[in-house]
Amino acid sequence: MPDSQPENILRPPGEIKLETKDLDMYYGNFQALTNVSIAMPSRRITALIGPSGCGKSSFLRCLNRMNDVIEQARVDGQVLLDGRDIYSEDTDVVALRKRVGMVFQRPNPFPMSIYENVAYGPRLHTTARGAELDEIVERSLHAAALWDEVKDKLPQTATDLSGGQQQRLCIARVLAVEPEVVLMDEPCSALDPTATFRIEELMTELMENYTIVIVTHNMYQASRVSQYTGFFLMGEMIEYNHTEQIFENPADKRTDDYVRGRFG
Amino acid sequence: MMRVVSAQNTEKLAFAGLWLCAAIVILPVLGIIVVLAWRGASALSWDLIGGGPHSLLAPIVGTILLVALTGLIAAPLGVAAAVYLSEYSRGGTLVRLIRLAIVNLAGVPSVVYGLFGLALFVVLFQFGRSLLAGACTLALLVLPLVISTSEEALRQVPGSLRHASLALGASQWQTVRRVVLPNALPGIITGLILSIGRAAGETAPILFTAAFYSLTDPFPNSLLDPILVLPYQLFVMTTEVPNVAPATKWATAFVLLAIVLGMNLVAVILRARLRGSRRW
Repeated sequence: MPDSQPENILRPPGEIKLETKDLDMYYGNFQALTNVSIAMPSRRITALIGPSGCGKSSFLRCLNRMNDVIEQARVDGQVLLDGRDIYSEDTDVVALRKRVGMVFQRPNPFPMSIYENVAYGPRLHTTARGAELDEIVERSLHAAALWDEVKDKLPQTATDLSGGQQQRLCIARVLAVEPEVVLMDEPCSALDPTATFRIEELMTELMENYTIVIVTHNMYQASRVSQYTGFFLMGEMIEYNHTEQIFENPADKRTDDYVRGRFG
Repeated sequence: MMRVVSAQNTEKLAFAGLWLCAAIVILPVLGIIVVLAWRGASALSWDLIGGGPHSLLAPIVGTILLVALTGLIAAPLGVAAAVYLSEYSRGGTLVRLIRLAIVNLAGVPSVVYGLFGLALFVVLFQFGRSLLAGACTLALLVLPLVISTSEEALRQVPGSLRHASLALGASQWQTVRRVVLPNALPGIITGLILSIGRAAGETAPILFTAAFYSLTDPFPNSLLDPILVLPYQLFVMTTEVPNVAPATKWATAFVLLAIVLGMNLVAVILRARLRGSRRW
């Protein structure tokens, strides 16, 4: 196994929110990630790109320990959130996932009302009820740019919304928990271009208050929304740098080939 | 051209054959209902649940009590076991043992349950021949069915909903209680009613544990009293009591069948109702 090449891995300036150190991940005997060490800056959007099966989604799920759910998944190395290892013995996984929210590839609203979807997290984590809860729901839907479209139909079933609206509802549901980091796993892959555009706009707005890590198949999306981009190949972080650098002047030939569409 | 025609003919033949087999499945059900209704119709009157010597009121009440208590015992046990197997267990020897036990429980003949219930509940636990002992025995009988139908219902709930809940910082239990169980409930309830409906018609398990035949004091006063139940009533009327009009026996059988089919019907309607309101 060749080592990841530190000279092509940038350490971003400023405050680092999330950082991985020598992260290895296995599904049974299959090694999905090898020696991934990158630092993701606070209140910025970091994009992770790479061909299918390169490990970028597996990497994302390491960051909120959603891999714990998968049988046989095993992680070595460190993931530091504000400098503290989330894989240490004393980590409260529930508290971690409250701080590090996740938006999934396919919109997955609960088959409940729009209101109850957003209220789900606050009901678990806070004592807010009644008007106080209404306020959180409204604020979260505003932040997810969905309020105007749903304010008159909050009691309606969330699964009746369009795909793009459902995904923004899922974002609102995450924001209602008041996380510090939002992980997005190809959040637009099931959406049409208009809905995709709205979510991208939204991400840029959210960047003011949240650290965002997005996995995307769409290189244009990465170049449009992110400040930093990491290129994954076969479970390794090949190159990590400012987004312009990755797309205009990559250091590694494999990165160059990928962003120019020569493979993947 | 010849080949096409012959393929079409084969298709017709296959269709006719399959249709016939499917139709044959309906025949016994229809046959049983029609014969019972026709034979029992003359005896089927309000007198049956009135005062007469072969009044069905006590057996009907006993059957309903027995079924309800069986449900009360089997439901929490079965659903909890299913939740453990489906949501918590991660394989391993214990889980394989549990599954093996369930499969084997389902294969045990019902008369063996009866003897087991006699030994355990009637004698060892000193429940005596009683409503409680019978319900415990029947609960054991339906447990494998309740577990497997509940597990199936739980498995129908998409994993993406569990992940969404966990990713929002819900614990495993909160996820089960607030997302998985509510969405699996229609399936669980349906399975429960169907399982218990099956128990309602069983004779062997209650033969030694709950049922008795009495003309003088047919109603139970407590959980520890024996009860009259329809299947046993029918059994006794046909084998031991002389001079029972045949029509009365037919009517008894008809009432028993009506209760079981009625429960199934409720389950089917409930499933259609509750399913309709859920989509993902």
